Amino acid sequence: MTTNWRFAWRNIWRHPRRTILTMLAIAFGAALLVFSIGFQLGQYDLMIKGSVSIYEGLIQVQKKGYLDEPKMRNSIEDIQSLAKQLRNKTSIDSISARANGFALVSSEKRSYGTLIAGVETAYEKLVSIIPGTVREGHYLSSDTAQEIIIGKSLAKNLQITIGDELTLMGNGRDGSIAATILPVVGIYQSGSKELDRNLIQMPIKTFQDTFGMGTHGHAIVFFHDDVKQLSLFKQEINQIIPDNKSLVTLTWDELQPGIKQAIELDYSSGWFMYLVLVAVITFSILNTFLMSVLERTREFGIMLALGYKPLNIGKLVMLEAFILTLFALALGTLIGLSINLYFAYYGLSFEGMEEIASVYNMPSTLYPQISLESILIGPLVIFIFTIISALYPAIKIRKLQPVEAMRKI
Amino acid sequence: MKTALIVISLFLLHSGTQAQELPSAKDIIKSAIDNYRGISSYSEASMTIRRPDWERTVSMKAWTEDLDRSLVRITAPVKDKNSGTLVIDDNMWSYAPKINRVIKIPASMSNQSWMGSDFSNNDVARADDLIEKYTHTILETTEKNGIKQYLIRSIPHEDAPVVWGKELLTIDERYVVHKHEFYDQDNILIKTMTSSNTKLIDGKYVSLKQRMQKTDTPDEWTELETHNIQFNVPMKANMFTLYNLQNPR
Repeated sequence: MTTNWRFAWRNIWRHPRRTILTMLAIAFGAALLVFSIGFQLGQYDLMIKGSVSIYEGLIQVQKKGYLDEPKMRNSIEDIQSLAKQLRNKTSIDSISARANGFALVSSEKRSYGTLIAGVETAYEKLVSIIPGTVREGHYLSSDTAQEIIIGKSLAKNLQITIGDELTLMGNGRDGSIAATILPVVGIYQSGSKELDRNLIQMPIKTFQDTFGMGTHGHAIVFFHDDVKQLSLFKQEINQIIPDNKSLVTLTWDELQPGIKQAIELDYSSGWFMYLVLVAVITFSILNTFLMSVLERTREFGIMLALGYKPLNIGKLVMLEAFILTLFALALGTLIGLSINLYFAYYGLSFEGMEEIASVYNMPSTLYPQISLESILIGPLVIFIFTIISALYPAIKIRKLQPVEAMRKI
Repeated sequence: MKTALIVISLFLLHSGTQAQELPSAKDIIKSAIDNYRGISSYSEASMTIRRPDWERTVSMKAWTEDLDRSLVRITAPVKDKNSGTLVIDDNMWSYAPKINRVIKIPASMSNQSWMGSDFSNNDVARADDLIEKYTHTILETTEKNGIKQYLIRSIPHEDAPVVWGKELLTIDERYVVHKHEFYDQDNILIKTMTSSNTKLIDGKYVSLKQRMQKTDTPDEWTELETHNIQFNVPMKANMFTLYNLQNPR
């Protein structure tokens, strides 16, 4: 075995220039994959973080069935106490309770049907960007304040400004008619068209009074920066939730399946590109391997004549490919990783990124993800493909006849 | 001679079938709507909304005139007393005494639930859309207890502002609607209104019970029960006005 290793090592360096060129080709491919996969995964991280920070949160606790059928009666009793309890007992600090409803909202001039959310005014800013994007006026002042804030597009559609009163009419939890008149104290512009056009927030207690909710609410929203610890958080929450049968803990991918689908679609189309790249690399390597085997037919013939088994020669060729690829991949991964580390520190921004970025509430500067997955998955795929391509010449050797082979040039 | 006889008998046969010809689908629908609305009507009814974990009953009075004017006023429970809905042509207004405001319901809300029930605003609104904006076909004619029943398919015109793809109505020859099924654009049954408790009132057959049920929630429904209905009652001049909606006597 050691002989084989020594043979292989020497054979690789018989043509130093060719070997180095091949290694560079592989290394370049590997570096490119490490670079692009790193950025791709980094972009997904930002997409997820961006989307969950707008409004829906990373995790929500809801009444079972509320996600599919958001009916007012599918509510959680004493929701603010439960939110408080979760705030105290979990490692997540950004927790806020909400109650949701639907109402016909009218100004003097116009009427629209919109979503109404009753929020904990002190905590809402921890789980959503809405309080921080109030551009005119101010955010809701206390849980019992008789006031509302409204999205910019909706304000424009209703033709109202700060201080104007809006009439809200809908159905309460008990089926009665819920109606109230409240002044607009703030206009927000979250950047999410859906929210800016379609969501009004009011203090949670005011909401509960208006819609006959008592102490009920519909969702406890959790936010955290670290998406990777999701399952840990979920476990933590599930231990504290009193009645596991009627309440469910939902994660971002269940709350916003669209984001996950967008990522999966992008990921699979990205992989198509990568596979094309890997295929090009593989063929150029196959060419090199095949050349180096064909030109050594005479040498292999002699080895066979000396009693070397064909299987062993095959192994030798495979070993050469293995060593060469391994060195090349190590080099390529190192290059790719150092590029990514650089950008992880300084960031990378493209012109025109802002527009796409704003859709998912992402910053316009990209940072690559530095993780075992993002670093190793590309080189691993190249490794597998090159070893497969090395199999072909290795198998070819087994058909060699010593006498004929020796006669070859 | 023989041929003449055949011709005559054919002619007789033909005229015979003509005399018994079915009314057109559109006529049946129109008569059915006329039948339960009349020129004008006054009724007292209660609406029960049934959900798996709760139930709510609302009492109301309703006035209608022609096919395009109606006023509904809640009389109980106390919390919602004097709330009301007014419909004139394609316009709909709601009044909430709690805030003493009248609000116009925009057309975009026409498919939203009316008063939290399984009826939509559209179901409560003017009744003659079904006559004018649909194409009607009689699919089959059957007989039940000696009363002829028509199954009519109504498909909205291309340009009709209607969410349904198809509606199926079962109407008998006394112009009583027994069943009204609403299908979406993909031909899936979304909700069904069934009528029962048919009585003869003022010379008309009227169903006093209507139940609206959505297909995907079999344990939820809304039932509207009419306790008292009078037809062709004189209406005071300002009955169907915003003023009257907002100022119940």
